[in-house]
Amino acid sequence: MTAVGTSVVRSDGEAKVRGDAIFGVDLAVHGMLHARLLRAPVPAGFIRRIDTSRAAASPGVHDVVTGADVRNDRTGIVVSDSPLFAADYITYEGEPIAAVVADTPELAEAAIRKIELEIDETAPVATPEQALSPGSRLVHPAWAEFDIAGGAEFARGGNIAAEILSDPGDIDAAFAGADHVVEDSYRAPRQYQAYLEPKMALATYEAGRYTIQVSHQYPFRIRDRLAQVLDVPKSAIRVVGHHIGGGFGAKLDLGLEPYAAVLARRTGRPIKMVNTASEERLTAPCRDNATVKIRSAVGRDGTILAQDVDVVYDSGAYANNGPALVSIPMFMYGSIYRVGTVRIRSRMAYTNTAPTGAFRGVSGPYLVFAAERHMDHIANELGRDRREYRLASLAADGHKMRNGQALEQLSILREAFDLVEEHVPWAGSGQGQQSNGKLRGIGIAAAVWLTNPAPGQATVKLNEDGTLTVVTAATDSGSGAVFTGLRQIAAECLGLAADQVTITMPDTDVAGFDAGSQGSRTTHVAGRAVLDATTEVRKRVLEKAASMLEAASEDLVIEDGDIHVAGVPDMRVSISQVAMAATFGQGPIVGTGSYTTPPPPHDPACTTGMLFSTWPTPTYHVHYAEVEVDPVTGQVSVERYVIAQEVGRAINPDAIMGQVQGGVAQGLGYALWERMDIEDARYVQRNFETHGLPLACDMPEVEAILMEHPEAAGPYGAKGAAEPPIVPVAAVIANAVSDAIGAPIDTIPITPEAVLEALER
Amino acid sequence: MTDDQSVPVRFTVNGREQELQVGAGETLLRTLRDRLYLTGAKEGCLEGECGACTVLVDGAPVDSCILATAAMEGREVRTVEGLSQVDQISPLQQAFLDHAAVQCGFCIPGILMTLTALLERQPSPTREGIETALAGNICRCTGYRQIVEAAMAVAAEETS
Repeated sequence: MTAVGTSVVRSDGEAKVRGDAIFGVDLAVHGMLHARLLRAPVPAGFIRRIDTSRAAASPGVHDVVTGADVRNDRTGIVVSDSPLFAADYITYEGEPIAAVVADTPELAEAAIRKIELEIDETAPVATPEQALSPGSRLVHPAWAEFDIAGGAEFARGGNIAAEILSDPGDIDAAFAGADHVVEDSYRAPRQYQAYLEPKMALATYEAGRYTIQVSHQYPFRIRDRLAQVLDVPKSAIRVVGHHIGGGFGAKLDLGLEPYAAVLARRTGRPIKMVNTASEERLTAPCRDNATVKIRSAVGRDGTILAQDVDVVYDSGAYANNGPALVSIPMFMYGSIYRVGTVRIRSRMAYTNTAPTGAFRGVSGPYLVFAAERHMDHIANELGRDRREYRLASLAADGHKMRNGQALEQLSILREAFDLVEEHVPWAGSGQGQQSNGKLRGIGIAAAVWLTNPAPGQATVKLNEDGTLTVVTAATDSGSGAVFTGLRQIAAECLGLAADQVTITMPDTDVAGFDAGSQGSRTTHVAGRAVLDATTEVRKRVLEKAASMLEAASEDLVIEDGDIHVAGVPDMRVSISQVAMAATFGQGPIVGTGSYTTPPPPHDPACTTGMLFSTWPTPTYHVHYAEVEVDPVTGQVSVERYVIAQEVGRAINPDAIMGQVQGGVAQGLGYALWERMDIEDARYVQRNFETHGLPLACDMPEVEAILMEHPEAAGPYGAKGAAEPPIVPVAAVIANAVSDAIGAPIDTIPITPEAVLEALER
Repeated sequence: MTDDQSVPVRFTVNGREQELQVGAGETLLRTLRDRLYLTGAKEGCLEGECGACTVLVDGAPVDSCILATAAMEGREVRTVEGLSQVDQISPLQQAFLDHAAVQCGFCIPGILMTLTALLERQPSPTREGIETALAGNICRCTGYRQIVEAAMAVAAEETS
């Protein structure tokens, strides 16, 4: 092994430090115009009148459109509930109502201000609790008429956008016979992805086809959703990807692309659109706010006999990918610990707030926060040590999750607990008040996470100088999975150095389908496609070399760009000589690979309506934290942070460490500092300063132990690594703070005010 | 808008003299990106908060998105493009590559300018000094660790 397992420098690195890398917002084409959107100023109301005549007459304006001027059918990833423009009623503050095209963004903005809009404001459905309360106004009175993509079947109705219920039927008896019943209610806020590059799109329309240039995590999703919105064939759309200034899940669905596409066709000119920072904050698909209620029946010896879990998410105005995400509690409860029978109800509610969506780890951070706070609560109730109680409750290899899928390597979690213990021996408690007056606490938490299985494809070309080009639509939103990972995998297979592998930027006209940078799938799934494609290239290279060297191909060795007969180093030919001979002999050498993780065996009858039914390629995680709480100010400082993370195989250790540091930083922000409060269906924090993103001076060193348990189906054993470092962070911090102050913290973020309030209780 | 009342302004950008007519409302970021085609400084929040547009004016880091070009008369402006030569990048840029400090890279031009100014002013800063200097630059990807390590490595090189 030479390329795999080393911290190769990413191929886009130099362009990025020089300032040469072209991001979406940097794009410009000849003759392009700029468009801006008029967005709803209120969260709910009926549009009584829109008059665009003054805007149309404004200087430099080329076009003004509303829902009345374009195809405005409702569409969506699962539920077709979302129109292009709000035309009759408004469902959230920031919803698009009209668009203006002008020579410059400033002229477009000036014209937007001249649109006359009359709204009959109605009281918004502001919270999921309100949405689900009897007699609540319906966010979408016509919900029953919305189409469901692919005819998927799941429970929904009224303000419930999607629901699953898994009820084994025997939990009430367990509660009746329990020695202890432990009950908790946990709350988590929204979290804004806060990528620095705003969403953008640059569209052109030519000869019946749309070309959309983007910085987007999932170009094929844009192709498919745009085809739905515009009612054109998928092949009428080409999506070209550029460098992405952060996404973290926010750039997985349509943003400005359909507006730019429609306007490009209408005006006959290229249309560029870029959101402002305030538009981003108003409309980004934040991690959903949620409430998780857990009740456990516990026997005398501490065995958990049954668990009853009720999760309510805020979907916001539209369902987005929510009907799939509503299944995730099925993998978070009863999966790593033995908790007897489990009843899970999980519902997402429509409200008059911006639609929520995917943010790294989706609902995992708050589901694990609830699960692991609850474990602390039970241990404390029983007078058991919190770590020892977890180890005693840990299930064994082969334990079945709620979907009937077995976790064959669950004992990796025990190994993770051991490795953390070796690194920082568990002291039971931070032992409260220190000599400096601060309160010290420790916390520990565990989780299982998945590697997204969705499909990917790669074509690998052998170039006539003996190097490789990988053609793929996989995207790199910063992790390095494409710019180092896929290159290392191809290089390793053909015995090259990683810098001898060039990789393309995504283009849906050129590469096969790829499901984008989500759920840590790129290294594992796209990497497997790259490995299969390169293996095919390798086979053809060896066959050609064998005929050139008059040897059997199984006797050949590839080393440093040369091929020689094993044991006869003089009988050699270079890969470039082979490539030339092949190209002008039989034709160029190219390999292809396609992969999607097959669903693990499970029980489809375990519940109804699970659109997300398995937990493929699981990885295992234990986090540990030490905090100091200032009892006067309520400030929490993270003194130590240790994690043990299982990665299958670390293709690029430095790149994984970057994901660990970055994921934990986002998790600490979520647990302690970041605010996206909603009052009367409106966001309170409206700029970076009040939002409270982590800064350099806030970050502790994260001490990470990477565990390698190579996965046979993965390229060189790799599993997903980038997403999960965020998942257990809020849990472990809340456990540590609760230990420090001797009072439970069941709501995040853990603000100084919340700490002081808990101390007074 | 007062943009049509343009004023003449002379200043240098990466050592080159520039003489432009600019509207009173034109920001330095706009001038750099749209007129001089220096797109290294990034258009992030445009509210002076994220730091992706950071450039140096007379050696000090500033948010170019909220600075009027008209106020640049006689000033010396440096952007990320000025840190490297055709075939050579700066030791700080190299350290960013060696320490895997770059992820999405959108904040990197601004962060490089902030740290370049710091290291010119104070060749061997402490870790706290580096972290404090970065208070105006948000990075959402990295958790800052590898960025701070890269700057520490350059500082150590200077000290040894």
